[in-house]
Amino acid sequence: MKPLFINGASCISPQPTFGTEFPFEAKEYTGSRLSCIEPDYAPYIDPKLSRRMGRLLKYGTTAGLQALRDAGIQVPDAISTGTGFGLLDDSGKFLKNVIEAGEGVVSPTAFIQSTHNTVSSNIALAIGCHAHNNTFAHKGFSFESALVDAQMLATEDDKMANILVGAYDEVTDYSYQIMQRLGLIRSGGESNTELLKTTGRGTIAGEGAAFFVLSTQKAENTYATYRGCKLIYKPSSAQTLSEAIEAFLAGHGLDRSEASVLSGVCGDDRRDTILRAINEGLFKGNTVLAYKHLCGEYMTSSAFGMWAAVNILRTRGVPEYMLLSGTPSCPQHILICNSYKNDYSLILLSVA
Amino acid sequence: MEELMQTLKGQIVEQLNLQHIKPEDIGDDQPLFIEGLGLDSIDALELIVLLQQKYGIKLANPSEGPTVFKTVRSIAEYITAHKAA
Repeated sequence: MKPLFINGASCISPQPTFGTEFPFEAKEYTGSRLSCIEPDYAPYIDPKLSRRMGRLLKYGTTAGLQALRDAGIQVPDAISTGTGFGLLDDSGKFLKNVIEAGEGVVSPTAFIQSTHNTVSSNIALAIGCHAHNNTFAHKGFSFESALVDAQMLATEDDKMANILVGAYDEVTDYSYQIMQRLGLIRSGGESNTELLKTTGRGTIAGEGAAFFVLSTQKAENTYATYRGCKLIYKPSSAQTLSEAIEAFLAGHGLDRSEASVLSGVCGDDRRDTILRAINEGLFKGNTVLAYKHLCGEYMTSSAFGMWAAVNILRTRGVPEYMLLSGTPSCPQHILICNSYKNDYSLILLSVA
Repeated sequence: MEELMQTLKGQIVEQLNLQHIKPEDIGDDQPLFIEGLGLDSIDALELIVLLQQKYGIKLANPSEGPTVFKTVRSIAEYITAHKAA
């Protein structure tokens, strides 16, 4: 594939990632649920329109529009997004209304907003973009599928110059309760900064939206080069994943010693086994970073990871609070090794 | 009628989530759509739901919509006429 340049990036998350300089000052939380720090939406969304929008629609749309502004692009050639659950809160509201109204007439707004593709559609409406517009809802592969979509579009269509790619998810009261009941959430009241330093069952729930403009031409403000992405479903062992990682790196002319790693460990012993074995085995001696203690765990959290990675590559600095092992040296290449349950993915980024 | 119009204004603000408008800001004869409050077609659907849920009135003929939902007064008159019926 031809390399793509990340010329715009934006992220709204539980951390002060929007409208601040990187590295941001990490915010510490107590408890097992991280919610987004919401910005003032007025510069991005007409208040007449935002009155109907749920929280995720507002922060997803704003992150997408800001990524375009960051890249100096008014209308991209395509929009491709990923989401695990879509607009979960509106889906819940709509279903609750249906029950309360005895399956009678219900308010249309929550229903209209409850589809997974509402954010990408809303961005397209806001900027008058009639081009390719896809939303992937593939659990832990949702964001990665959007990246692969963009990669294929750029490869197959020479006219494709700028593609807006992003991902978004939210945690709601109801989804959080379900995750607690399933034993997916840590029960203690510890700080999020301690999540990856301690062992235990469960992780912390998170949410966020991150968007990128992937362009075929390098610009003055290019963050990093996007080299490629690989999806690996249910690797049978750490050895299987190690081999896949080495083959992926070799395919891009890299040896395992050349890449710093941004690991998607989430703090749940049951789910981190393979990634921890990779960090301590294949990448022993490398700089290994982590991000899920900052944004929480959700199906598209790798988009937050990618936002952090491209900023590290541009600023040439590694924040101490992201360091899992090794030294905080300036990386030339970052390999994001993520997992969400059985969905493992690799995203390779390099200095532009 | 006056009391019904005041109640309706509060219900409209709540149902349509008109964040920057207070019920008392809405005039009895102020147009609700386009040049007035600037409501749109989705708001019209919300108002139909409001009539059904709060007053048990179903708008039988959709073509009546523009007349019924023109102002707060026209909605109140429609409710009064149909509740009496």
